[in-house]
Amino acid sequence: MIARREYLAYVRTFGFWLSLLLLPVGLSSIVLAPMAMARSAPIPNVAVIDFSSHGLQAAVARALATPGAGGKPAGRLVAAPGAPYASPGEATARLRAYLSGVRELPAGGRLDAAAILRPEGDSVAIDFWSRAVSNQVLQTTVGDAVKDALRRDRLEKQGLDPKTISGIDSLAPTISEFSPKAESGRVALKDRLPGIAGFAMGFLLWMVVLTGAGMLLNSVMEEKSSRILEVLLSSASVPEIMGGKILGVAAVTGTVLAFWMSIAGVLLAMHSPDLATDIGGILLADGRWAYFALYFVGGYLMFATLYVTIGAFCETSREAQTLLGPMMVIMSVPLLFMSQALSHPDAPLLRALTWVPLFTPFMMAARAASDPPAWEVACTALLMFSVTALELWVAIPAFKSGALATGRFTLRSFVSSLGRRPA
Amino acid sequence: MDRALVVEGVTKRYGGFTAVEDLSFGARSGRILGFLGPNGAGKTTTLRMVLGLVTPTAGRISILGETDAAKVRDRIGFLPEERGLYRRMTPLSAIAFLAGLKGVAPAEARRRARVLLESQGLGEAIDKPIRSLSKGMAQKVQLLSTLAHEPELVILDEPFSGLDPVNQQSLEDLIRGLADRGATVIFSTHVMQHAERLCDQVVLMAGGRKIFDGTVESARASTPRTLTLEGVFDPTALADTPGMDNLVVSSFDGPGIRVTADLRAGTLAQDALRSAFAKGLDISRFELREPNLHDAFIVLTREGAPGR
Repeated sequence: MIARREYLAYVRTFGFWLSLLLLPVGLSSIVLAPMAMARSAPIPNVAVIDFSSHGLQAAVARALATPGAGGKPAGRLVAAPGAPYASPGEATARLRAYLSGVRELPAGGRLDAAAILRPEGDSVAIDFWSRAVSNQVLQTTVGDAVKDALRRDRLEKQGLDPKTISGIDSLAPTISEFSPKAESGRVALKDRLPGIAGFAMGFLLWMVVLTGAGMLLNSVMEEKSSRILEVLLSSASVPEIMGGKILGVAAVTGTVLAFWMSIAGVLLAMHSPDLATDIGGILLADGRWAYFALYFVGGYLMFATLYVTIGAFCETSREAQTLLGPMMVIMSVPLLFMSQALSHPDAPLLRALTWVPLFTPFMMAARAASDPPAWEVACTALLMFSVTALELWVAIPAFKSGALATGRFTLRSFVSSLGRRPA
Repeated sequence: MDRALVVEGVTKRYGGFTAVEDLSFGARSGRILGFLGPNGAGKTTTLRMVLGLVTPTAGRISILGETDAAKVRDRIGFLPEERGLYRRMTPLSAIAFLAGLKGVAPAEARRRARVLLESQGLGEAIDKPIRSLSKGMAQKVQLLSTLAHEPELVILDEPFSGLDPVNQQSLEDLIRGLADRGATVIFSTHVMQHAERLCDQVVLMAGGRKIFDGTVESARASTPRTLTLEGVFDPTALADTPGMDNLVVSSFDGPGIRVTADLRAGTLAQDALRSAFAKGLDISRFELREPNLHDAFIVLTREGAPGR
């Protein structure tokens, strides 16, 4: 009943529905917004004024016309308005009005960028003028085109024919990656999936602990400050109250996760059915789902118990913040090291961190790809659940003491409550 | 079962501080027991020990025949001193939820909640969030939430605090109704008038110790009646009046003096008056005042009388 009430209390809030929809909408925005912007953005007009003796304009025009990642050309070469110019300085002075938008190009439209190429010793200097100073794509495209043209020009002057130069440019090794851990010997995306899935699971647990534990802390804190806990304590045992709250919040976060994962699964199945099948296969293979579930449940219980107990000692969010600060520092440690497990799953430091109970669920999930030995899985799981049991043993009297106490939280009251056990 | 609650030699210490010391009393089934004392007397700590929320340092408690309150939790209704409910819940849901925790089936819990709310004039507030109710209404909702599972023993910690006179009267009626249907009611208060009107038995506490345990009448009887005489006379003339003790002379807004004296047990007020008039004293006004529970409490606290 406590779990059901807890669940319904959250599900009926506006914030729940907001958080439920916010991530899919946010992620979709992150992925789709740049694509939509790139698709709708006009192709920038670029003028190239070449004062060098290398005839670089054609090379720049070719580079600008080459379609980029979005399938659109990086820019469109336009005739420099008001040309010819006597010097780079004059060109700069005349183009400024077009670049600032005061004047339009003779054929209509605005001038977005201008590259003034001027000789500098044996090489060429580029004065690149642009309306969008933060957009480096055009500058890089023009710079690379000039560099390639100058290189090719120099090599031709050294006596190499254009065909040979093209041949040299196309020289690149074909790299094939193999590993004894790969299914077919040759490493494919499918073989990297366990590592990615492990990291994802570790990160998911981290997020669940962060959000779920925060909800638990606030819920208990609110019940304590509004004196509901005393009524609950007269109607149910501490394990029933704690268990109910933990289960209720787990159901809330579970609902959110299930919703997000369902959306992700459907989208993946629609757009990349092979990848969806591979991910499903990875999770089902070798009982990996059970491995993840073990550390997920253990990790959630361990942190949830801790946060519920802390909540029973706090009446205000300020008091809770003082206790959450150190917890956040602790929580940031696995986040720092989980990504390292992708490239170095068996690094000694990661293996050592696995044996710190508060980090165990995160590190073991992230290290899933390295297939830790059975003894390590058994021992770390035993350690994790033992610590959770110890936590519960300590938390039950502490929760009761904290729930009935009045006044500010003090470390002394918290520590002394740990010694009090019900008869 | 003759006694719903038996407390024997219970002590509770927090470090060097003794909140309750060697407390013993019993509550008879189907009766109303008032647990009285000033703030800090140890009432709340005692009630928490009775409910099993706090473990006694020493002593034994038997509640509804069990030494473990958790075993009879569903047969007890408890209203804590500091009240609170889920502010976003409706009265109906809140009462049904708490009745559900006590083992009442969901449909039955909602039915009882509806009946209770309507019987207490809260029918219109049934589906409103508790945060939108007045303080008095919210307190009533919380009280009803302690009764929806029809408990055999109802423990109310300072139930009258924060209620206006109309709601106090309504609560008194409710408490009488509970006793009439056979429930045992224990309530703590520091306002003696409620106890005086309601209780079959009172336990007075001060400084963590019991100073009285008995009926309201016996508490009153432990305190002398007072006789007040006003007039123009020499107060020393009253010194040897039989049955009068502790004479206190004071001035008042009128001619002469005022003398207040305690009447010894068994002394008739008319005998004392007759003696005073026989001495020829010019007495313009006299008043006999029977002691109330408040007077009894003051006297018993001052004397630090041991429990009877």
